[in-house]
Amino acid sequence: MRGKDVTLDSVSITYPNGFTAVEPTDLVVEAGEFFSILGPSGCGKTTILRAVSGFIEPSAGRVLIGGEDMAGSGPNARPTALIFQNLALFPLMPVWENVAFGLEARGIGKKARREKAQELLDLVALGDQGDKLPSELSGGQRQRVAIARALAVEPAVLLLDEPLSALDLKLRQHMRAELRAIQKKTGVTFIYITHDQGEALTMSDRIAVMNNGVIEQVGTGDEIYSHPRTAFAASFVGETNRFEGRIADVEAGMAQIETPLGRFRARNPDQLEPGSEAMLFVRPEAMRIGGDENRFEAHLVRRDLEGAFLNLFFDARGTEIAVHVTNDGHAPELHDAAPMPLGFAAAQAVILPRGALARTGQELAAQ
Amino acid sequence: MTDLSHTPPRRRLRLLTADGLLSAYTWAFLVFMFLPLLLMILSSFNDTSPPSVTEWQGFTTKWYTFFWMPEETLRADPVLRSLDRDRFVSCFGNSLYVAAMVVPLSLLLGLAGAVLLTRWRSRANSALWWVLLSPMLAPGIVLGLSALVFWSRLGVDAGLFTIVMAQTTFIAGYPMLILMARLQRQPVELEEAALDLGATPFRVFRRLTLPYLAPALASAAVIALMASMENYNTTMFAKGGACTFATEIGAMARNPNGHPPVINAVGTVIIALTVAGALLHTFLSRREQGR
Ligand SMILES: Nc1ncnc2c1ncn2[C@@H]1O[C@H](COP(=O)(O)OP(=O)(O)OP(=O)(O)O)[C@@H](O)[C@H]1O
Ligand SMILES: [Mg+2]
Repeated sequence: MRGKDVTLDSVSITYPNGFTAVEPTDLVVEAGEFFSILGPSGCGKTTILRAVSGFIEPSAGRVLIGGEDMAGSGPNARPTALIFQNLALFPLMPVWENVAFGLEARGIGKKARREKAQELLDLVALGDQGDKLPSELSGGQRQRVAIARALAVEPAVLLLDEPLSALDLKLRQHMRAELRAIQKKTGVTFIYITHDQGEALTMSDRIAVMNNGVIEQVGTGDEIYSHPRTAFAASFVGETNRFEGRIADVEAGMAQIETPLGRFRARNPDQLEPGSEAMLFVRPEAMRIGGDENRFEAHLVRRDLEGAFLNLFFDARGTEIAVHVTNDGHAPELHDAAPMPLGFAAAQAVILPRGALARTGQELAAQ
Repeated sequence: MTDLSHTPPRRRLRLLTADGLLSAYTWAFLVFMFLPLLLMILSSFNDTSPPSVTEWQGFTTKWYTFFWMPEETLRADPVLRSLDRDRFVSCFGNSLYVAAMVVPLSLLLGLAGAVLLTRWRSRANSALWWVLLSPMLAPGIVLGLSALVFWSRLGVDAGLFTIVMAQTTFIAGYPMLILMARLQRQPVELEEAALDLGATPFRVFRRLTLPYLAPALASAAVIALMASMENYNTTMFAKGGACTFATEIGAMARNPNGHPPVINAVGTVIIALTVAGALLHTFLSRREQGR
């Protein structure tokens, strides 16, 4: 295994203009792990990556790579390689020289460089493109050159800053699989930044969900999707329905929350006390038509066909409720205007302290 | 031109006069710029001295051949006889020598200034910018005089060396501006990526920054060369007993019997070279884009 672990020990980062982009953060990324940092634009992802690669020193705290304190070592002295958000290929050098640049910097002879570059270009399926200029490649090919160039210096940690964001969907899906395969093959620690949750969920061993300079939750994709620990994590990753209210009653691990739509029972991982302001989150696919342990009335207002699935949107006294059902011919039709009972199981819903939410698509579009 | 067919008459009149004024001004400007050049070129082929275009005495190229015509022919010509050809050639040699010093010095200083101002972000930047550019804005006479005074205090006699020093102070500003403009367009990420791959700052400079700057360095060199060759006022004050091409032409032009048309011939050659250079540059950059 070639990868090394990365530890952030109460790292906080304040820019010279006084803006604190990263609040004090503790984080351990295991050696050889595919670790994603997921968060909305401007939350501080790039800032963290630049602190790990050595372009900025943390204002407080320590960055350790393989147990070694990195304070004072610049980017050219760290066992990391960064793939920039805009790739930053060298435009005047042919592809193979781009790939071999790190070897050149280590004083390796031209023949050995060319061979190693060829090997890496073969790895990323660009074996016959070595003599082109970066401007003569497609977006996906450039992407792979950037990856080969970073791998050439045999980094222990590869840092990737939204490298796929410029690609179209098909290519992006293909590159995800390829990145994952390269990571498995090389055993290098990957720290992968994205604001695309699908990307994070499909590729990562673990994910950190970040908002406003704070890492809100670290866990596997399953943990974060099924057991979100903050209102932000619940609303940012995947779709969710939200009910706001006040805790009315608590019992072993569960709680009841009083909402405008009624009193609902759900998991209470934070052991909130009665009286506290809280939010209940439940995924659209956990909603049941016909009611369940928790129930309320709503009427259908929209019905979007997605092929195998149907996305139903209900109105429950002004609150929009999303319900995903399989398209098995039993789903209600739009002309069923009468209110119908909806519900969900207590075990599939979670009550969390009231907190900042991810912006909805509507809010982003209104900006 | 504006389409006037749908405009009401009064507005039409106003537009006409505005358009008319603008084109009259444009023509006046062009005449003002190019008529003297045209007259100079014409008179350089006229067989009379002092130069004239109104009294045409016949076509000649002797003002051009002055520099290599045989000694006897030179002696036979009443106008050319009085000119010191050897001195003229040696002053031209001095100009080449000065330019050969000034161009690399200005490129080095300009490059250093440009890198400093674009890559070293600090509060002192804007102050530094003014300090580095102020010689370009200062009157040339002041630069020449201060170089003279400064170096004579240090015990250096005025001569080619002081010319080089005086010219470099302001010519270095041109490469700096040209290189800054290009450096600002190079994304910082490229240099960061190279550093991240383990390159030393020096290698980053040599492998990325310099190749990227190469075209700008070439144009900066040409501009510095021209600025150095044609400089008169600063050189005049810093030259001491030495002479350059520009100061020598200046001296010839002050001839009490009117200046010899040789100057017009030299001027015509300079114009021809400049136009050829500009055409070549256009041609080369077209081809560069076509690639
Ligand atoms: N040099 C800087 N000086 C001051 N503030 C900065 C600087 N660079 C970034 N910031 C601020 O720090 C915050 C985090 O920036 P960062 O680039 O880390 O965001 P990000 O999570 O990578 O966003 P994106 O997904 O859009 O790339 C932003 O609010 C940004 O405005
Ligand atoms: Mg970013």
